[in-house]
Amino acid sequence: MVGNYFHTGFKVLLRQKGYTLLNIIGLAMGIAVFTFIFLFIQSEIRYDRQWTDHQNIYRITSEYSVDETVENIALTPFRLADDFMKEFPQVESATNMFFTDPSDINDVSSVTYNDVVYEIPDITLSGPNFFKIFDYDFVEGNADLALTKANTMAISSEIAYMIFGDEPAVGKSLQTVVREYTISGVFEKKCNPTHHNFDAVVSVSSLEESSLARLKRDWYWLTCYTYIKINDTTDIDNLDVAFNDFATQKRKEVLQDEEIELDGYFMNKFEPISHVHYNTSLQYDSPTNTDRRYLYIFGIIAAFILLTASINYINLATARSLKRIKEIGVRKVIGATKKQLILQYISESIIITTIAFILALSVVELLMPKFNELVGKELTLVESIFTGGGIYFGILLLLLMLVLAIIGGSFPAFVLTSFKPANVLKGSSLLIQKNGKQVFSAGFLRKFLVTVQYIVSIGLIISTLIIYAQMDFLNSHDLGFEKDNIFVINTPDDTTFEKQVPKFLKTLAKDKSITGVSSAMNVPGYTESKMLFYVGDTLNHNIQTLNYYNVGYNYFELLKASLLKGSFFSSEIYDENYNHYIINEAAAEFLALDSVIGISLSISFDESFREGKIVGVIKNFHFSSLHNEVEPLVFLLNPNNSRYVIVKYRNGQYNEALKHIREVWDSFNEGSFLHYTLLDTKLESLYKGDNNMLSLFIYFAIFVILISSLGLYGLTSYLIQQRTREIGIRRVLGGSEMRILTMLAIVYLRVVLFAGIISSVIVYFLMNSWLNSFAYHIEINVWYFVAGILMTVTIAFITVSIRSFKVVREKPSVSLNYSG
Amino acid sequence: MIETFNLTKTFKTESVETIALRDVNLKVEKGDFMAIMGPSGCGKTTLLNILGTIDDITSGSYAFFGQDISKLNEKQKTELRKRNIGFVFQNFNLIEELSVYENIELPLVYLGWKKKDRTTRVNEVVNQLNISHRKDLFPGQLSGGQQQRVAVARAIIAKPALLLADEPTGNLDSMHGEEVMMLLNDLNKSGTTIIMVTHSQRDASYSRRVVHLFDGQIINENIVGLS
Repeated sequence: MVGNYFHTGFKVLLRQKGYTLLNIIGLAMGIAVFTFIFLFIQSEIRYDRQWTDHQNIYRITSEYSVDETVENIALTPFRLADDFMKEFPQVESATNMFFTDPSDINDVSSVTYNDVVYEIPDITLSGPNFFKIFDYDFVEGNADLALTKANTMAISSEIAYMIFGDEPAVGKSLQTVVREYTISGVFEKKCNPTHHNFDAVVSVSSLEESSLARLKRDWYWLTCYTYIKINDTTDIDNLDVAFNDFATQKRKEVLQDEEIELDGYFMNKFEPISHVHYNTSLQYDSPTNTDRRYLYIFGIIAAFILLTASINYINLATARSLKRIKEIGVRKVIGATKKQLILQYISESIIITTIAFILALSVVELLMPKFNELVGKELTLVESIFTGGGIYFGILLLLLMLVLAIIGGSFPAFVLTSFKPANVLKGSSLLIQKNGKQVFSAGFLRKFLVTVQYIVSIGLIISTLIIYAQMDFLNSHDLGFEKDNIFVINTPDDTTFEKQVPKFLKTLAKDKSITGVSSAMNVPGYTESKMLFYVGDTLNHNIQTLNYYNVGYNYFELLKASLLKGSFFSSEIYDENYNHYIINEAAAEFLALDSVIGISLSISFDESFREGKIVGVIKNFHFSSLHNEVEPLVFLLNPNNSRYVIVKYRNGQYNEALKHIREVWDSFNEGSFLHYTLLDTKLESLYKGDNNMLSLFIYFAIFVILISSLGLYGLTSYLIQQRTREIGIRRVLGGSEMRILTMLAIVYLRVVLFAGIISSVIVYFLMNSWLNSFAYHIEINVWYFVAGILMTVTIAFITVSIRSFKVVREKPSVSLNYSG
Repeated sequence: MIETFNLTKTFKTESVETIALRDVNLKVEKGDFMAIMGPSGCGKTTLLNILGTIDDITSGSYAFFGQDISKLNEKQKTELRKRNIGFVFQNFNLIEELSVYENIELPLVYLGWKKKDRTTRVNEVVNQLNISHRKDLFPGQLSGGQQQRVAVARAIIAKPALLLADEPTGNLDSMHGEEVMMLLNDLNKSGTTIIMVTHSQRDASYSRRVVHLFDGQIINENIVGLS
């Protein structure tokens, strides 16, 4: 009997190809998008949970305040790891790992092996405990010994393969400009994600003795990430208190020794390792960290997409069931029991959901590479389902399939089968009556479900419009400088090159494709430093922490910054022993001085004072993301410290300029890679998370509107079937085609409008909260809502019209004979 | 076989009550071929539906093989119907999604027959009704007459004691109508009791008795051939 249900079910569905296809495609699309979002969220919440006893691993961060401004930084002084090991026996293991700017290079970025130069993108330094805390799989070498000796490095298996192919890597040497490193281990970058992002780790003991000594002494120099692993019995809150007491005491001693008074505090915080990936509040943190709120938003969207698809499915089944009233009647007359009918419809429903699920998963598998490209991950469906709790997702999908099958199958089954066959045979009435009273209106149920669907669609469209407008606003916002057509070139970290920089700049400027060159330690969008400044009379200590840029000549002219007061830097004013500063408007306001030009600014440098004065004020200069208010910034003229060379090229001459830069680079730096970025690309990357969200929102919105339209198309089909005769009569009585089309559409247009109002209210609150995460943002106005609703209304009208047009155009004699 | 006593049926909506059948007393013996005639809206179809147990009575009684139908629940009625009654409708009421074969087979599926037995029986009936070459087609691919033959086949597949036909030739041209009536006539001759609602005097002439309904009441009854 069961076999017969499925056999009949298949035949029925095959005969109704349109309905079946519509239903399967709609449902499959919803499930596929839901699966993608699930996989994305799953991969995000897996960060750093793969380490053994990950619940005992913490990262130490820094919080300090000077003059009421609180700073939160992911870095700590180098010495903390040693202090933990020495003073706190409850800490099993502690290590530091050097901060490296992803766009920065150091002497090991370009390595030579067998006379071939290779580039290792991300390199850091760490101590022997690193691989004890983070148990990467080692394919070669011993994790415990990998970072114990000076001039050794552990490399990832990808890098090992790139340089050594299939040969063993351990024991081989890589030559850099400065020294030779021996490979001590090869580790697997696990598929499970981590906030670390390096391809090689050099042993900390490779650092020069003098640098190491200074690092080991300093309590304020924030250079490293610090990780600790505590034992099972330790209470982290107690350790927090004990350590901060200890460190505060030590810092106090340092300040007393140096006779410095600071109005503020400095403390360290303990952050569970699995929380690191969601923390976007710290400076100098991993750029791949994700705002936890985005995950919530995606989760909600995923649920809504699934809801929309499910509603659609149920809606179509409901609509179709009305067409099948007669069929049910026939079956009942012939002798089908209620149970048999229920099983029949549920079987059909199971067939549809099963095919939809299989199709959805196939689509996911097929589009996975594209999706990975979009979100910058390397996910696979099979692995995601069969590892790390993914099995629950598999079970959830199966349950969902069953629930949908039952709900979608039950409407015709449970409701329609309970009516008298004679009534059912008569009827194509949408209203179901019992004792003369209307007990259930399928039309109402359908409208309700369509409303929910459109609330989601319109909400996504309006949100997408607002996000798009905000991103556009960010891109066109006046940053106080021009970011286009600028190469930022990393210079090699060796003193020989530094001396050649002026000549290098001059040679670069020779080509006609280049319009300007400059050098600097700091460029907008890259890392900045902070420095303590003694403002005004050095005897009357007014100490301020300010952001601080070292720049060369022609810096402001090249970036087209606007001078408000004073003058730009020139070679005439440069004095090795006396500093000259230009500050931005925000700094001028922050310092609250009547006249800024000529005011003296001093810094404590290498334990000695260096005096100087302010020579100019420029228009506000947004050196970091527009998420933050523009901060006070001080530029120091320092043409000798050139971590970056900045080159502006003539518009449209990108290729010529790059070719020239390469030639000049090769003539100055043989055997070293040219590392460069474009300033506008780099600045755009500050909004990578926001831009990712925008592109995902666009996709989501398209999918939801598509799924909703499919649903509406299906519903209209049934509406038309119900009303074909009525349409014929109206045409005979003189109704115009347009008028009848509008009449058919108006039922759903009202629903869409109503959904639009509800949706607008919800979106207003959500989007306002998102926009407030930017210091600079657009104001939400009514046009976003009007546009969103109008777009949806138009799409809905077109959908209904496409389906209705043929029937409305039909000669009335044909539609009148229609026995729907 | 069938006996009704003061059978009355009313339809109620919120404001109006309509009497469809009033005090109908009817007796049908095994092997009868009875036609019910009358103008539109006189209650013919309602009476047929009640006799077929697909509609309830409001008052009076209806006994089928001596069993009081008003005492049966829906499940028991379904059981009685599928074992004893076959239906033929004016608009055929074939299931569009199923093939001729599957439409005819359906009652046996609901009766729980084994597949092998079903195949044997369906083949028997399609041969009997001369539609075996069309059994793989779908209803939409057949002419009205052919569809009605399929409907008849479906109605008699389970060898019901009673065949109810509601204007079986109403949607057919005279030639096809004639064919269907011959078919019913043959069935009746081979022992099937038939009650048929019709407008057509000509169709009625195939029956043995004609009952005239007017405004829900039986106004007279003729024995065919005697009137």
